[in-house]
Amino acid sequence: MTDSDLLARYNYDEFIPAKFEPWLRFESSPPLGKPAPDFPLWHLNERETQLSAIWSQHAYTIIEFGSFT
Amino acid sequence: MNALAERYADRGVGSIFLYTHEAHPGEHYPHLTSMAQKFKHARDLRDTLGVGVTRPILVDALDGACHRAYGSMPNMSWIFTQSGVPVYKADWTDVHSVENAIEYFLNVLERRRSGERLAPFLVERLDFRIQDQAKFYKGLERNGPKAVREFRAAFG
Repeated sequence: MTDSDLLARYNYDEFIPAKFEPWLRFESSPPLGKPAPDFPLWHLNERETQLSAIWSQHAYTIIEFGSFT
Repeated sequence: MNALAERYADRGVGSIFLYTHEAHPGEHYPHLTSMAQKFKHARDLRDTLGVGVTRPILVDALDGACHRAYGSMPNMSWIFTQSGVPVYKADWTDVHSVENAIEYFLNVLERRRSGERLAPFLVERLDFRIQDQAKFYKGLERNGPKAVREFRAAFG
């Protein structure tokens, strides 16, 4: 899959099972109790940070994933 | 979840919202094609009356690298320790479930401080969330009529 294919498939344009179901992969998400993968993220002012920079600030960090829609 | 974040902010608990992709794209909030658009949608999520997320919002890459690595569910919640170890993951977000978990984990910290020796073990559990169809459809309508049509076609 090319980068542009991935962008188009991940950012699907229609909520139809063929387009959204392939992304529902919670059963293969990282396990509890093991160090989790780190990723770059961006603040709303477009300043880059890391997921690890977020979770390292508090004893516990709650992260809700979602979007406007 | 905003109120939960405020309640626990002074107990060593951070809370963020991670902006992913448009689960139900519509005429008003179509699928994402650029980071500029993604930042705009995320700012709208912060600023829209009745929707506003008051927690810090962070934005994932346009290809959803973080979201995909964590299972790509549309509205999941995770809790991480300060060293980056996930201790809770839920394929949906429910404030009662998250609060129940965070209370438990804060208690673990207190028990360790008081000298108890604790070892982790895995638990599986089904939690239950409120299903508010009217509120859900109101949200779809905000996205545009296309989002409503497509959801009805997919789930009736």
